[in-house]
Amino acid sequence: MNEAAQLTYTEIDQTVLDTLRPPTGAYWLVVMVLILGVLQGAACWVYQIFVGIGAGGQNIPVAWGTYLINFVFWVGIAHSGTLISAILYLFRAGWRNPIARAAETMTIFAVTIAGLFPFIHLGRVWVVYYMLPYPNQRYLWPNFQSPLVFDMVAIGTYLTVSTLFWYTGMLPDLALVRDRATGFRKKVFTVISMGWTGKHEQWRHYTRGYLFFAALATPLVVSVHSVVSWDFALGIVPGWHSTIFAPYFVAGAIHSGLAMVLTLIIPLRKIFHYEKIVTMRILEAVAKTIIFTGLIVGYAYAVEYFLAWYSHNPVELESFRWRALGHYSIEFWIMVVCNSLVPLLFFFKRIRTSIAWLFTISILINIGMWYERFVIIIGGVAHDYIPHAWGLYWPSGIEWGILIGSFSLFFLFFVLFVKHLPSISMTEMKETLDHGGNDAH
Amino acid sequence: MPTDSQVLAIFADEDQTVAAIEAVKQSPWKLDRVHSPIPSHRILAALEVKKSPVGWVTLIGGIIGFFSGFGLAIYTASVWKLIVWGKPVIAYIPFVIVGFEFTILFSVFGNVLGLLIFGGLPDYKGLKNYDPRCSGEHFGVVAICDQEEQNKVIEFFQNQGGEARVFEELAADS
Repeated sequence: MNEAAQLTYTEIDQTVLDTLRPPTGAYWLVVMVLILGVLQGAACWVYQIFVGIGAGGQNIPVAWGTYLINFVFWVGIAHSGTLISAILYLFRAGWRNPIARAAETMTIFAVTIAGLFPFIHLGRVWVVYYMLPYPNQRYLWPNFQSPLVFDMVAIGTYLTVSTLFWYTGMLPDLALVRDRATGFRKKVFTVISMGWTGKHEQWRHYTRGYLFFAALATPLVVSVHSVVSWDFALGIVPGWHSTIFAPYFVAGAIHSGLAMVLTLIIPLRKIFHYEKIVTMRILEAVAKTIIFTGLIVGYAYAVEYFLAWYSHNPVELESFRWRALGHYSIEFWIMVVCNSLVPLLFFFKRIRTSIAWLFTISILINIGMWYERFVIIIGGVAHDYIPHAWGLYWPSGIEWGILIGSFSLFFLFFVLFVKHLPSISMTEMKETLDHGGNDAH
Repeated sequence: MPTDSQVLAIFADEDQTVAAIEAVKQSPWKLDRVHSPIPSHRILAALEVKKSPVGWVTLIGGIIGFFSGFGLAIYTASVWKLIVWGKPVIAYIPFVIVGFEFTILFSVFGNVLGLLIFGGLPDYKGLKNYDPRCSGEHFGVVAICDQEEQNKVIEFFQNQGGEARVFEELAADS
């Protein structure tokens, strides 16, 4: 019998509704710190707009610096939300239910922040509308053969679909909050719950619609990070031009996203007393999935070396030798250890059932996955074909400031979310009770 | 003018609700609707509802998206005939990505539209004849009867283990 099955409908509702009570002073302090983080990031960006894109450390040959690293990192973080909410839903994995809402929310915030980075990387951000396909007197249209325009289409679709999926899934819970709220909050929740009353006719269409949502989001999530990988794989650069990039990136994205789920859900569980809902069995299930994705990522690292060796291409061989032993070897080994070796610790039950270990390893994987993007994006162009064109790169203070700002914005969104909207799907938790923890809708 | 009453019975669990649905179906009164805090397959089976047609709207959205995506890419390539990488101006293989993403996007728009249309959302008027307990831990079964039979229905629901309440009268022909 699963641990959550000891709960009742009322206990689930009460536990989640308690999280929406007026926050304490400590909460506002955290919000203030995060706002300061966002403001310093925004100040860095404004400075860059005035000074020019050269305020970053980008140069020739490394024209894509941390802005592209951050873009790929945040898109990757977004992926496990859809894995948990859509793919595991189709597989009827009941353990996803308690963490699905937090993961979906993480997806939306992460994609939003990822979407900011192409803007930040544009020197003249005010002409960003040039990327949109609209009739204009210049007869100028986006080039739909370009992977960067693929990105715009894919990320735009992913953000829209994820947001609609998240909102639709939340309707029954918004109605529940409406029915227990008073005053202004009741008015707000009355509007946003759209008059949901849980009528059988509403459920009949909702369950079908939700199933289609999951079925459509599943190929979408695979396509989005494949498209992101083609930003690199379609460039004829050693270390980038590889056919394994799409599955490699998708696996890495899910790997980093699952780690971020742990990073977010562990403090959430402690602060909001979710221990009976987000049980150790669920955290263990996430840890086991991380072992799986970590093995895929490790396999991809090995296959890249095999392909370089098997190709007998001296440029590829040199590129991969330099990756492990050259200027960025520390970043490379951080990547290998944190993403492929550290997750193997989850094979030990004692480690995957320890909150401290789960949290620490999740942070290490996040660091490792950021460095993975660093190694790929910087390493390829820094050391490509012609030795006299080689060059090094290190992020400037402005770039670090924007990176910190992006993390602050992500956590600020999440902190605001958990106090204003139900951070656990009460409806799906009740279904878990009804179906013995192995079924969803 | 004769009037009808809506009698809502509140039940504590799914088993009682399904039993009450079966009982109302055998009674002379009309079963109007059932409220539940979760999507219950047992309740939907007892009500013998048909499969939702939402999928058809999703499909229509997908077809529109497929042609829109390819159409946009082909049209924009045609008005700006720039040869890139030696590829044909109208290069179908890269356009698959645009076509695919638009197919998913418009399918989802169709899905949401279908959900709103068939689910009757937004439905703020529906909150008038509704018990807020039904979003939390209770199930509600609503039967419609002549006003004179109201007490009989209340008693009927009480015998099923429910707690009954009556909503405002409705004109029989409304």
